[in-house]
Amino acid sequence: MYILLVLPVIIAVYLIYIYNQFVSLRAQIKAAIQEIGNQLKRQADLIPNLIGAVKGYLKHETAIFDKLTEARKNALAAVEEGNAQKMSEASAKINQVFTPFKAILESNPEIKGSDIVKELTMNLSDTADKVMYSRRLLINLALQYNTLLSTIPSKFIGQMFGFKEEAGLKTPEGQSDWLEVSSTETTTPKVDL
Amino acid sequence: MKSDFYHEISANRFKSGVIMVFFIAFVAVVGYVFGLANGYGPSWGLMAFFLSLLVAVFSFFWGDQIVLSLSGARLADKKRDFNFYTVAENLCLGSGLPQPKLYVLEDSAPNAFATGRDPKHASICATTGLLTKLNRTELEGVISHELSHVQNYDSRLMVITSVLVGTVALLSDWFTRSLWFDRHDRDEDNKSNLGIIIFILAIVLSLLAPIIAQLIQLAISRRREFLADASAVALTRYPKGLIAALEKISADYEPLETANRATAHLYFVNPFKGKKITGMFLNLFNTHPPIEERINALRTIS
Repeated sequence: MYILLVLPVIIAVYLIYIYNQFVSLRAQIKAAIQEIGNQLKRQADLIPNLIGAVKGYLKHETAIFDKLTEARKNALAAVEEGNAQKMSEASAKINQVFTPFKAILESNPEIKGSDIVKELTMNLSDTADKVMYSRRLLINLALQYNTLLSTIPSKFIGQMFGFKEEAGLKTPEGQSDWLEVSSTETTTPKVDL
Repeated sequence: MKSDFYHEISANRFKSGVIMVFFIAFVAVVGYVFGLANGYGPSWGLMAFFLSLLVAVFSFFWGDQIVLSLSGARLADKKRDFNFYTVAENLCLGSGLPQPKLYVLEDSAPNAFATGRDPKHASICATTGLLTKLNRTELEGVISHELSHVQNYDSRLMVITSVLVGTVALLSDWFTRSLWFDRHDRDEDNKSNLGIIIFILAIVLSLLAPIIAQLIQLAISRRREFLADASAVALTRYPKGLIAALEKISADYEPLETANRATAHLYFVNPFKGKKITGMFLNLFNTHPPIEERINALRTIS
């Protein structure tokens, strides 16, 4: 007798719980995409500062400056569009140009001694890390969401309310999902205590 | 491989819950037996229960503050501790955890610990030795290990456990003293067999209590170190960073000055490593698994 009363309540509670999970995950995915955009914009905005700081020392390296500026433009366009996949590709492109650029900076003794350049390169590497970690968060969230959407019984609730699969991110072929850092770059700056 | 690892996390979280309940029950039962043996009746069990509950509640809300103020750490600064600050920021970004408060402890021995009752009220503390001796990738390994302690609610369990261990030690101390001084007054009117059995049991318990409590504390922290290492790698996806950090730290033989018996299990590696502790219980009473075992476990992941 009681089961007739209790069962609908249990079903209703379960339904609300799963529905809320879908909504909350979707909101988190949106926030993660926005985070990638914010960090990528920060990374892109650091580039002109760095170029400005070292241009005087590197008069013959105009080719790499052009490449960096182009990668930056590309990144800003991706941020404007708000497409996660394009943003993460744009970030990968910046890193591709930035790594040989860093080697140039390190080989130049005049630049190596500059505190501003050191701070800017440190911040640029750090924002690259931040883009990578927010990408990773997006991948995880999309995986969670899509698993919920494709497993029984949450699948039926998802279909009932018309939740669509999230694209997530593709990891570029042959590229590992972490950044290798050179040892010179990672030596901790001296802390005066 | 990966699903094994996630299964391990949930299994370990369940087990740690069981241990926690067992611990509280243990304190109450010990108090109860002590009370009976002393002739005060079962009220002692209740007293012990409320006392331990009070201490546990206190440690739940203010345990992290106590630990941090005892260690004398200062708040970290983004400019001054750039790598520490940004690495923690990034790992939180990747795991979706809220940013913990970051502290720096002035000590040249490389070590770190996490504390706090949940991810929203967490603090991570690193020594200046850790920040200067490790590079960014290695630091990332250590900080993600500490963040894993926060994420798995280890930091809560650890703070509470250390206070519970303290309570048990206090209780048994108190009992042993009262046993030797009060006992003979009541010997005349309490000669039943039951009284003697309880008396013997109480002596055994009073001897065992601190040892059992200590062993539980060790069981918790040893297994948890492996789990935190594994979750750290799930976060950074770069076991080599943590392995390199462990190797560097194990080559360093400086003991941490501010650590004591009650806070030892909080740290990234055993803070007493430099000091020679000899005796038959050497291995049993070590708060951390040997670093080589941790490195080997990490190698099997990668």
